[in-house]
Amino acid sequence: MIALVDTEALGETVLAAIVAGVAVTLVFSIAIMGAARFAEESRGGRPVAAAAFAVVAAAAGVLFVALIVFGLVVMTSK
Amino acid sequence: MSEGDLILYIVVATALVFDFTNGFHDTANAVATSISTRAIPPRIAVAYAAVLNFAGAFISLEVAATVAEDVVEAGAITTTIVFAGLIGAITWNLITWYFGLPSSSSHALIGGIVGSTLVAVGWDAILGDGIVGEVLIPAVVAPVVAFAVGAVGITLAYRLVGSLRPGPVSRGFRLGQIISGGMLALAHGTNDAQKTMGVIALALVANGNLAAGADPPLWVIVSAAAAIALGTYSGGWRIIRTMGTRVIKMDPAQGFAAEGAGSAVILASSHFGFPLSTTQVISGGIMGAGAGKRVSAVRWGVAGNIVTAWILTLPAAAAIGGATYGITRLFGTGAVGPVVVTALGVALVALTFARRVRQGVPVPAR
Repeated sequence: MIALVDTEALGETVLAAIVAGVAVTLVFSIAIMGAARFAEESRGGRPVAAAAFAVVAAAAGVLFVALIVFGLVVMTSK
Repeated sequence: MSEGDLILYIVVATALVFDFTNGFHDTANAVATSISTRAIPPRIAVAYAAVLNFAGAFISLEVAATVAEDVVEAGAITTTIVFAGLIGAITWNLITWYFGLPSSSSHALIGGIVGSTLVAVGWDAILGDGIVGEVLIPAVVAPVVAFAVGAVGITLAYRLVGSLRPGPVSRGFRLGQIISGGMLALAHGTNDAQKTMGVIALALVANGNLAAGADPPLWVIVSAAAAIALGTYSGGWRIIRTMGTRVIKMDPAQGFAAEGAGSAVILASSHFGFPLSTTQVISGGIMGAGAGKRVSAVRWGVAGNIVTAWILTLPAAAAIGGATYGITRLFGTGAVGPVVVTALGVALVALTFARRVRQGVPVPAR
């Protein structure tokens, strides 16, 4: 009997879409939060906290770019 | 030039017209949220989407293969059947565009081809397993996943940035929308331009110009990419307005979450060869991003109209495709039927387009 649905491919598609979609929004939100808090802490004269949020923003920004590049590589590799 | 070649030329031209209508009908998928949140000015947004749609068409051929092989029996298909199917899809696209409804061009195309094949050959040539497994089930699953991703994404985003000053946050998400909107346009190109490639490949196989199962030739890929990009640049302002402002009143964070959800679902689906509807996916993402903020934020009446159009698309396009095939057969099996239908279609489209353009008002940048 022929399976109507390739459940493995469909499951992988759903999983990849959920992980990628949520991760992209989450990571970009962290980058924005980090950048906004960096600005607030800098204005408040708290350099250590400002530096910590700058690191968070930069790391999330790099991760966001990496996710976009990863998505493109996955697409072009097939 | 043989009569078969003449029909093939008409089919290729009709397929590219469909691709053009797909572009302007579905422009809204890529740019509506970016325009409505003022992340990108309208004209620049459609130009940006057009370029990325063109590029996206070259990325993968998985969807083209599904359309060409898994929906109808390629060996039973004639160029006239493909022609009638395309007319069914174009007609449904124009009807829904006329009413500003963001329906699925993909399902219109598949429905049209299935309808004309059914009338011409019968049930034996319809690959029911392929339609259910590769088209219908992903059509139900994909918008639901996009809805969930959009809702979860916006909930997380609000938790992270909700207590911060709105100005910098909105500016940040608008910047992000330039990227997420670009990804969506690219994803749209990979998924939708390929459907036309698949149909032209089907016609080439039917006319004996291409072996069954072979990849579409380069000229098919380039012309399909160019047609969808031109259509996208033309912009479907009516549908952009429905998608961008009538389903939910969107803020930049919601726009980003909706576009991120849509891009992720479409790119993942293209990778596995599911020819899903980009319109349905991004609509699901927009509704999810609205419902994640507040369920009552979604205008469910508008959402209901959109879902009704989705449900009607396959059977309506199939009925028009089947009827078109019946009309072409009134003139025999040669090129006369397609020529007559094309002439009638061009006249009708010109009339409709001119009337709608006179009535249409571009979405203001606000």
